[in-house]
Amino acid sequence: MRFKQSLLLLVAASSLPACASSVGGGAFGYSGYSLVRVKEVRVGDDSMAVTPPREWNKIAGSLFVDIHAVEDWTQNGPYLDGISFVTGLKDGKALVHQRSRDDRQVPKFRSNMTPPEIAAMIESLFRVRAGAVDFKTVSLAPRTFMGANGFQFDYEHLDGDEVRRKGRAVAVVQNGRLYMILFDAARSHYYNALLPDFEAIVNSARRV
Amino acid sequence: MNAPLSRRALMSAGAGLAAASLAGSAEARILPRDMVPLIGAGYRAVDQDEKGLWQLMERVEEEVSGSNLLIKDPQLTNYLGTLIGNVGGPAARDMRIYLARIPEFNAIMFPTGFTVVFSGLLLRMRNEAQLAGVIAHESAHFLRKHQIRQWRDMRRKTDVFSFLAMGAGVAGGAAGIYAGDLIQLAQFGTLLSLLKYNRTLEAEADAMGVRLLAEAGYDPMAMSETWQQLIGELDLSAKYRRKRRHRDFNIFETHPSPDARMADLKISAAEVRQPGKAYDAYRGRYLAAIAQLRPTLLDDQVKLNDPGASQYIVDTLAKDGWNGLLRFNEGEIWRLRNSQSKGDEARAAQGYAAAVMYPDAPPDAWRWHGIMLLKQGRSGEARAAFARYLQMAPNAPDAALVRQMMTG
Repeated sequence: MRFKQSLLLLVAASSLPACASSVGGGAFGYSGYSLVRVKEVRVGDDSMAVTPPREWNKIAGSLFVDIHAVEDWTQNGPYLDGISFVTGLKDGKALVHQRSRDDRQVPKFRSNMTPPEIAAMIESLFRVRAGAVDFKTVSLAPRTFMGANGFQFDYEHLDGDEVRRKGRAVAVVQNGRLYMILFDAARSHYYNALLPDFEAIVNSARRV
Repeated sequence: MNAPLSRRALMSAGAGLAAASLAGSAEARILPRDMVPLIGAGYRAVDQDEKGLWQLMERVEEEVSGSNLLIKDPQLTNYLGTLIGNVGGPAARDMRIYLARIPEFNAIMFPTGFTVVFSGLLLRMRNEAQLAGVIAHESAHFLRKHQIRQWRDMRRKTDVFSFLAMGAGVAGGAAGIYAGDLIQLAQFGTLLSLLKYNRTLEAEADAMGVRLLAEAGYDPMAMSETWQQLIGELDLSAKYRRKRRHRDFNIFETHPSPDARMADLKISAAEVRQPGKAYDAYRGRYLAAIAQLRPTLLDDQVKLNDPGASQYIVDTLAKDGWNGLLRFNEGEIWRLRNSQSKGDEARAAQGYAAAVMYPDAPPDAWRWHGIMLLKQGRSGEARAAFARYLQMAPNAPDAALVRQMMTG
């Protein structure tokens, strides 16, 4: 899952060795983006397909912060906006790669989690990994996602870089695995400007 | 620089502390009575190098004072101002205090007399004396001109630190750390060389802090209690992650022997007490001042999912009595850790069930109590808990989902 601060720091700190061993998800080397065209595409571990209403940029997977089941897109760069796809996250796994000895950790996903628990997991993700110092739930409500009974989680946060951001996650747990599309963007301008894209992507999502 | 505190030393606490206090204090302890302020009211930079430093710090203060991470509640700000007034010595009126919403156990004094207190510090303090102790310690750095002394000391030792290099290190520079970034300050304040004091200067600040505290009528023992809490929290946090503690914190850093320092603080505290004078921790006053903020402070900490640290904090606060808020947060700690092998879900459920027995249980305690009951298949009881939640928080942002859980 894309993270503004930690990701950029990692790029700065370790771009050379990473380039040498690049397994970047279909992109050029480490720091690259690849174009997502306006047609149905498979995301994450390829178990979900979505159709974006316009071209987006896929952020090359990072060896260090990403996990296989997560894919990140952006329109204006990760500081301003991004969409993350979580495709079939298994029980006992976290949304980001982390070491068992990290003091602060994003809680692991559990198959039996209720929507408030998944929402709380997302909140800790932002607090632990994105430096959110204030995080507010705007709404948590039922929503159909990929034809199943899922939920929609709307939230706002103020981050350590002093930018207020806003996000929406639409998710469902199927066969014990988490499927989710999460949109997070700067609250001024970017969130509203890209929300229609996000909605179109969510509504186009299907299991493959 | 900072020798890790050996767990063995802690375990043999009594003997270890006694030994450390002999070794540490017999030679090195700085006496509170020697700690006179080096500046008076209305102090301004005198020398050229110090003037340059002040200019730089004025820019930093401008950044800090405009940060939207500050908690600007006027009552709380006033309260903190009063504390500086109590323990700020002759420069009390010149000092400014900013409260930043960052969940770190830290506070920083800048060379021009403004201090940033991080909200994580307010969370951990059990009473006003403890908080005043930290502020007194930070004030002492200012009153003893530690920033400029430290800086000159470093320049004497090495020419690498030209003024410009120092400026870069403090105000921005290659590391991408600029002093206006409060989060980085909170977490890495120790890395900003200007704010990193040597052992003697820290010992001075301790000794003078104890003295300022006692002179203001606070129980001077509060400072060593704070120190003890810091060690205890770091150790439990590390233990839960199966490692030794490594993080150090600005307030109490750079000392080879934390035990010796804690022992020195205790001896100094005993020394500055005047027979017949009453000392108070002012717990009630402190709790009243932070009452509105405490749920947020706990939430900010617990959601970081650092279970050892959070448990230590909750248990420490609970020494003054358990209540619904603390029991609720205890449940939160285990729910977020969610280790199956340790039975965290059952422990969380117990925490919420205990929380709702207290009249001050927050609405969220009822919601989570309901969710845990639901997961245990006790849907009738869950419905009742959810109903109570919705009754307490009719405009809850998740009301629609809770209603679905009630019917589903």
